[in-house]
This record gives sequence, structure tokens and C-alpha cells, in this order.
Amino acid sequence: MDGVRDLHLEDAITYVGSPEAELEALARVHTTKYLDELEDFCRQGGGDIDPDTYARSDSFTAARRAAGAGLEAIRALERQGEGVAFVPVRPPGHHAETDRAMGFCLLNNVAVSAAALAAKGQRVLIVDWDVHHGNGTQSIFWDDPRVLYVSMHQWPLFPGTGKAQEVGGPNAVGLTVNLPLPAGATGDVVRRAFEQVAHPVIDGFAPDWVLVSCGFDAHRADPLGELALSTGDFAQLARLVRSFVSCPGRLALFLEGGYSTRALRSSTTAVLGTLLGVDVGLEPPTSGGPGQQAVASTESARRLAVAGLEEARCQR
Amino acid sequence: MKAIDKVAVGFDGSHDSRAALLWAARLAAPTGATLKVVHAVGLLEHARPSGQENPYGDVRALAAGAGMDPSGVEWLEVDGNPCSALLRMISAPHSVDLIVVGTRGAGAHSGSLLGSTSLELVEHSSIPVVVVPRQEP
Repeated sequence: MDGVRDLHLEDAITYVGSPEAELEALARVHTTKYLDELEDFCRQGGGDIDPDTYARSDSFTAARRAAGAGLEAIRALERQGEGVAFVPVRPPGHHAETDRAMGFCLLNNVAVSAAALAAKGQRVLIVDWDVHHGNGTQSIFWDDPRVLYVSMHQWPLFPGTGKAQEVGGPNAVGLTVNLPLPAGATGDVVRRAFEQVAHPVIDGFAPDWVLVSCGFDAHRADPLGELALSTGDFAQLARLVRSFVSCPGRLALFLEGGYSTRALRSSTTAVLGTLLGVDVGLEPPTSGGPGQQAVASTESARRLAVAGLEEARCQR
Repeated sequence: MKAIDKVAVGFDGSHDSRAALLWAARLAAPTGATLKVVHAVGLLEHARPSGQENPYGDVRALAAGAGMDPSGVEWLEVDGNPCSALLRMISAPHSVDLIVVGTRGAGAHSGSLLGSTSLELVEHSSIPVVVVPRQEP
């Protein structure tokens, strides 16, 4: 929230609440068995779920409120018909799978909101620029033609998913777009990956809503990732996702990872300042890192994978 | 039936995973099978100081203690949760013939769903899985 306060835009910001997400909304993306077990686990005091993921007695409520904050932000945008929503919640969500907590994530916040919009007939684009691949979000919408998932991430890295060849299930061939980048990749490589590989798919999909899994651990100062982005690069990413929105009030950003508090704060200010038209001091955009070849490889690997799946579908 | 040439063992340093490694090493020793000791690397583990390799001691020495030639033991760090890391060992280039795990890994709680790698593996694996029963420390 310091990153938001640094904008000095108190009059332009509307704060909305974070009510607990309804179980019906959670059940669109998580199994009721998982929800029951997670609630029960927390009620008994919680503990380690895996070496990364810990829950306490109040974690289920906190996770429901994190997911609920996203739903409430979407409702606010629907009412106002303008603006941008930022959902700075913990725990984050994009690693949480249908029936598994993982990577600090208990419930998949962005997926809960995307599923709620899809249930209302909306076409939803999720852009995930966290340094880690959003395995949970990918698997939840793997075979869902209503949601396009685009992820830029360092590879190889946790959670080990997110290869270019992962392009979606038989009912959603091509609607998963993975842009794996090597350690050290800079902003110019990220922009090229989006322009060359993702942009044509997004144009063809024509989303009604754009939701962003907005991690800031791709910043060069982050201790858990090795991409080399600056706040200037995040500002350019913000402009890019805004260009995917077809009408005002249809863009929401959900905070995911970010483990350098300084970079988290300055990157938040950079992204929100850019979207709100505020001049904030930015680090220059970066260039010259490795990964140009990776973008070319991604494009060809993806094309082959999509063609193979479509051929298999025709033969059925 | 295909011969067991390559065996993947899930290893996280826990007592149960050591028991699984010893069981797999005893299986491999007389047959000459190779052992791929798979450590699933979590998100936080990437904060480990660079240059620090296997933090759980010498798994080769552990396997050698069970009568195995240590040159047949390979240490693999694979990103992701333990179940998906081990399932990835089934396909090329690793193409293992058998997966061996302990009953419970480090950090897993006693519930039936969350963190139960062994149950999940048995459900999803296309090759045989051995779950080595818990032994008292």
C-alpha cells in the first residue's frame, strides 16, 4: 500500500471492501472437497501445507477475503464503468490449483474473478507477469474457451510448468500462451515476446475484460527471481495491458509475488502511476539481456504444438 | 514385463524419504539399476545461497551404505511440487521405470488431501509406484 500512497492521489482513489468470497464463487475454480479440507485444516490451527505454504487458524478467512476483494473490485468497476482496479491482497493466488495449495497460495484470486466474469458470458484475458509461471491459473482454465491465459515467466524456475508447448486443452487449443524467458532477460525481450507471440492471439480473442496477475518479482532487485526488469519496464507492461482493453473500466490488477519490499513499492507506483496518468520517477527500461532466441523458439514451438492438436482434433 | 533399469526416488531430507532411498538402493544394488534421486525445489528454496548444492548431505554415500555403486546415483533438483516433479520423471529424457517414495514428506500435515504426495502419485502415475512404509526413527 506504500506504493499506492506514493502516488499522492487520495482524491482519485476509491477504496472498496474485501468481503469473504461466496463459496459458490470459489467452487467455480476449486473442488468443494478441497475447500472443506482447507477450512477444516485452518480451523484445527493450520500448519505447514508444503515447505513454502503455511496456514494459520485464520488463513481460510483471509484467503476468502483476498478472493472476495477481487470480486468486489470487479463489481465496483461494473458499477462505475471506468477506472482501474488494483487488488493488493495476501495470500496471493496464481499457484493455487483446483485442489491444491502451493507456492504461498491458498485460493486462486484471479481465477475466481475470471470465472465469475466468464459465468456472465464475458471473455476474459488473464495476463500473468509474475516471474513464476501461474500453474494454478493455467490448469484451471486449460480447457476453457472463455478465458485466454498469457504468462511471461522465467524458465526454468518454480513451479516447473509453463513451457511454450503448453497451449491449452482440446476445447481451448491455443488459448494458453506461455512466454518462458531465460534468467537475465530484460524488458526489450519481454516486449518482443508479447508483441511477436501473444499479441496476435489476444487480438483474435478480443477480450471483454483484462485481469493481470501482477507480480513484481521479475524486478531485477527481487531475491527469488532472476529476470532483470526495472520499474520503467513495468510501466511499459502496464501500457501494454491497457491497450488490450476494449472499453473503460475493464482492467483489474491482482497482486501476486514480489519479495523485495523496495522494488514492490516502486513497481506498484510505476504501474498505477502509468495507468492513472501520473508522472512518477521511473528507472529506465532495460535492454540487452539474453532471450531473443528464446522468443523465436517459443514462437515455433507453440505453432507446432497448436498445429498438432488441431490436426488431432480434425482426425477425431 | 519391462526390466527395471531406472528408478526415481523422491527425496526431501525427511526420515521417510531416507527410508525410501535406502529401499530403492537395496533394490538397485543387485540389478545394476540406476537411481535418480529427485528433490522437488520449492519457491523459497531459490533463495538458497548460490553455490550451495544438495543441502541434505551425500545421498550417494547413503545409497552406497545399502550396497549400491554410488556412480549409479544421480541427484536431480526439479522445480515444482513433489508429485509433479516425480511424474515428470516418467517421460523422456529420464524415462524411469519405477517411482519410490516415503509415506510422508517434510512439511506435509496429517490430513488426507493436502500434501499427500504418495496418494496423488499412485492416482496419477502411469508406471508402478512403491510407497515405503513409515519406520520408527
